Amino acid sequence: MADKKKLRVVNNKTPSVDGKGLMQGRSFYTDDLAAPNSLVIKMLRSPHAFAHIKSIDVSEAQKLNGVALVLTYKDVPHVSFSRAGQGYPEPSPHDKFILDEYVRYVGDEVAMVAAIDEEVAEEALKLIKVEYEVLDPVLDFETAYENKSVIHPEDGIKEMFPIGFDPKKNVAASYEMEVGDVEKELRKSDVVVEETFYTQAQAHAMLETHSSNARLDEHNRLVIYSSTQTPFHMRRIMATTLGMPVSQIRFIKPRVGGGFGGKQAFHGEFFCALTTLRTGRPSRFVYTREEVFGASYTRHPMKISLKIGAMKDGRINAIDCRSLSDTGAYGEHALTVFMIVGSKVLPLYNKVDAVRFGGRVVYTNHVPAGAYRGYGAIQGNYALESTIDVLSEKLGMDPKRVREINSMKEKETSPIFEIMGEGTKGTAMIMESCKLPYCISRGAELIDWKNNYPRKVINDHKVRGYGMAIAMQGSGIPFIDMGSASIKLNDGGSYMVTVGATDIGQGSDTIISQIVAEELQTTVDKVLIYSSDTDLTPFDCGAYASSTTYVSGNAAWKAAQKMRARLIKEASQYLNVKEDEVEFDGTTFTAKDKSVTLNDLSIQWLYNKDLHQVSVTESYYGHVSPPPFMAAYAEVEVDLETGEYEVVNYVTVTDCGTTINPMLARGQVEGGVVQGLGMACFEAVKYDKKGNLLSNNFLNYHIPTHKEIYKLTTEFADSYEPTGPFGAKSVGEIGIDTPPAVICNAIYNATGVRVHSLPITPEKILKGLKELKK
Amino acid sequence: MKVNEYYRASSLEDAYSKLQQSPKNVLLGGGLWLKKTAQSYDALIDLSCCELDKISETKEEVIVGSMVTQRDFENSPVVKSLFSDALAYSVREIMGVNFRNLATIGGSIMGRYPFSDVIAGLLPYDVSLEFYPKETMSLEDYLNFKGKKNSILVAVHIKKGSGKGYYKKAKTTALDFPIVNIAVSKVNNEYRIAVGARPMVGALAKEAMKYINSVSSPKKEDFEKAAELAVKELQFLDNKDSSAEYRYDLAKVYVRRGLEEVSK
Amino acid sequence: MKVSFYLNDVLVSYDVKPHEYLAATLRRNGVKSIKVGCNESSCGSCTLLIENKPVMSCSVLTASVEGKHITTVEGIQEEAAKLSRCFSNEGADQCGFCNVGYALVCYALKKEYKNPTDEEIINYIVGNLCRCSGLYSQLKAIKAYLKEE
Repeated sequence: MADKKKLRVVNNKTPSVDGKGLMQGRSFYTDDLAAPNSLVIKMLRSPHAFAHIKSIDVSEAQKLNGVALVLTYKDVPHVSFSRAGQGYPEPSPHDKFILDEYVRYVGDEVAMVAAIDEEVAEEALKLIKVEYEVLDPVLDFETAYENKSVIHPEDGIKEMFPIGFDPKKNVAASYEMEVGDVEKELRKSDVVVEETFYTQAQAHAMLETHSSNARLDEHNRLVIYSSTQTPFHMRRIMATTLGMPVSQIRFIKPRVGGGFGGKQAFHGEFFCALTTLRTGRPSRFVYTREEVFGASYTRHPMKISLKIGAMKDGRINAIDCRSLSDTGAYGEHALTVFMIVGSKVLPLYNKVDAVRFGGRVVYTNHVPAGAYRGYGAIQGNYALESTIDVLSEKLGMDPKRVREINSMKEKETSPIFEIMGEGTKGTAMIMESCKLPYCISRGAELIDWKNNYPRKVINDHKVRGYGMAIAMQGSGIPFIDMGSASIKLNDGGSYMVTVGATDIGQGSDTIISQIVAEELQTTVDKVLIYSSDTDLTPFDCGAYASSTTYVSGNAAWKAAQKMRARLIKEASQYLNVKEDEVEFDGTTFTAKDKSVTLNDLSIQWLYNKDLHQVSVTESYYGHVSPPPFMAAYAEVEVDLETGEYEVVNYVTVTDCGTTINPMLARGQVEGGVVQGLGMACFEAVKYDKKGNLLSNNFLNYHIPTHKEIYKLTTEFADSYEPTGPFGAKSVGEIGIDTPPAVICNAIYNATGVRVHSLPITPEKILKGLKELKK
Repeated sequence: MKVNEYYRASSLEDAYSKLQQSPKNVLLGGGLWLKKTAQSYDALIDLSCCELDKISETKEEVIVGSMVTQRDFENSPVVKSLFSDALAYSVREIMGVNFRNLATIGGSIMGRYPFSDVIAGLLPYDVSLEFYPKETMSLEDYLNFKGKKNSILVAVHIKKGSGKGYYKKAKTTALDFPIVNIAVSKVNNEYRIAVGARPMVGALAKEAMKYINSVSSPKKEDFEKAAELAVKELQFLDNKDSSAEYRYDLAKVYVRRGLEEVSK
Repeated sequence: MKVSFYLNDVLVSYDVKPHEYLAATLRRNGVKSIKVGCNESSCGSCTLLIENKPVMSCSVLTASVEGKHITTVEGIQEEAAKLSRCFSNEGADQCGFCNVGYALVCYALKKEYKNPTDEEIINYIVGNLCRCSGLYSQLKAIKAYLKEE
């Protein structure tokens, strides 16, 4: 184990490597880099929730001055694929075509126009004549299974391996598992509680809308700039779908203005590619905010029913979880999100004798659902952690105590880890680092649980309620997610690091620089980092599944270790001593009375003696996925006359191993917490009865502003994960998991009203209060 | 939005004659909502040469030019001094400073937007609108006026008086439209109650006002009764942000709290 | 139509359509520091200063700024660097897309108020959305920036 006290760069405050440049307005986001005079791409979108295109006439649009290309389903390869942006083979069904003769939600793509400017492109859209056969949409996911409206009746769609795909029944995926005998254990239990919860669709609302642009380079290769989390997956999927060799496509990911899972998938990239390939001209496609809301994807809405059985002393015997998930029009991440409802939630209570999980993911005619930070975990956590409070009340115990007795501890495991992975079987693992007990007790101190729980009366109509929940995540997908890093030595003794790891604003460029600087005993300003570009950087699966710090960070650490060993070896040759006699302090190699500086050597190797480039490349994939853990507490002030409430303080204590960058780690936790609070309190994707999206802008889809966030108290446990880089685990997703359950529990403790559907609005609380009075 | 001509009017007269030339000519206020209309216009008429962006006062009233921005309105010491800062406060609740530096008081009123904080905030006061060509109309009459007004709003006249005001915007987040907005005043010993965003545009609760003004030194029960009357006489409807029932409940609580507040 | 104005104190002239908005004009002419997050005056990313007042440039018609003084982040580079330092100290910087808007709105706030209260600060910056930071650290950073000389 590395001694954390001796760390000089890692676990120390380091400003983001790109922070200053971005604040000063340097232009390095995707659309800033579009080629001048790019054709502008606009999309004709479906006005119907479900329809078949009977005829489509684009002749008038094509004739319009300034229009370069119009595409319909007749003009594009008819190859099914998944937009999900996952590894190969994907656990998501291949149920999407670039353009199709069916449209499956209001906003689905009908036809594309590329024109010299936006005005002409929009004019051309109006000239496209489409005759639709309108079909009966499925807009309630509880009626989707075996509905007479089949959303994917077409041929040519498929699963890549068994995921329970059954499109004729509107099923995108399904899953069942059981450990032990749940029915028997429930019968044995002194107390059984049963609750059902509903979670809503949530929008990512990253500030940079989806953008991409394309051009041909001097070799006539296709170069695509994309605001993406997964450049390497994109290159592979695009090559396969368009029938091109991978070698003819280059994806470049510049600065990305937020992703949160929303940029794991394809959005406009295919249309830029086709436009540029067919016209030879550069093109750009920037989604409007309305398109981001209405034509990208959301979090999967779910219905989750839980049964928990426990003994009088508080020991939980069995958990039974049934879920139904709404994947909307396409099945991106259908199975993987669904499985996480079980796999990253249920192991929290690992002392059960039996646990069961299962259900279906169904298609509907809503905006598709896809990857979103904390996917599956936030839905499962809301249901499980709310039910734990219901159970605690029935047991007459403090919910904190129930969690202390039953939750995961260090050196323990859960059978679920081996059974459930992401779309496949999982990987057994022991918790080498788990400071959850500390997180629970420290969080309780910070909120003064002893004196405050369950409520405090403020005045005749105001009370404060206190609630808690615990959570876990993972750190990448074992044996599937791979990251790699190359380091080369520059003259002057600085290092160029190239990584495929995808910085989307979370700060991976900074933490990878820190890891490399720490190992090479230098400073971050001597570590130049570039990410990610499929031509120039080594492979990385991309930024998802909380993988970057752990997987890509480990790759960078391995590469830095290799570079260090290489430098010492080469210095020993130069100094003519044995390798183990050389000491390297980051700037000077010393052996007995001889020494040489890295600066001198770096210049000599390039210009004077024994000429060569020193460079190394290393890769890493996880054999386990060590979970970070968290305990969270909230204090909410409720107006009993109106149901309105404020989250006065939100306390989190997180075990993410070593925080590579404590400030960025705080940013990840707090950013996640606030997105989670948005989902808990008010964010909601809303449709009218015909399936038209109502929440299609920031005035109708509300994300938290400075006026809603009062106080966040964020601490980290002292923890060290032996398999992580300098002891680190992931921290990108865990922050988002707890707020729905914590707020639900706090509101209950304040008012006696338990809200079983998200968001927990004042209106629902007041309704509950009125019912209690009856 | 598509526009053929950006017309910088040299005077009110010039602006007015341009406005009459085509039904597709339109006055430019802050331009914020115009952008969302996605219509095409022949000419946008810019009034910035007409000196309508000043706030002045006489002994009896405060006169707010129609092109005064929401930000200048809320920051004006004259406006702040009115009715315990209630008017300035109602505008301060709208979006952020970078929005309120564009949005104008005149634009907010002329649109008669149902969610308008400006309208609901001004309603319980003696407010009249001055138009070009010369015409004066109370704010309430303008709200009830059917059809489109083809003259130019020049200024908003707010009658001074001694007393307090109360404003409450019930909302989801700071950037949200109000779920319902409540404005209550007690000026020169007379109570007035307005409720907006029901989700229809603000209106006065006249029965409730009549009742509460008839009670000498009203107590908590009287305020409660007035609040009850107010929500009964006003119509509330459902939309995606709230049910009618919840709007009704919120309005009842906040009308009562408002009355209690201004009575102090 | 031709519109002339002072961009960071330099007189510029652009040929625009009467319905073109300032954010679009500036980006079209290479001022890519202007970020458009919603294009409907709701997110604040495109904030710039007109006569020192912060406004959302996606909703200002270019024709309406004839003769006016416009400040973008290029005109306040040192202040942006200071704010960036404060963001870093609090862990408030992430994707950066909202940052330029914040730099301008915070700079204007600093010029307009001597010692603003928390309420005044929040009221001033609330029109600038940030989806990454969790906002609380950002507020702390902005307070630190306002205290700097």
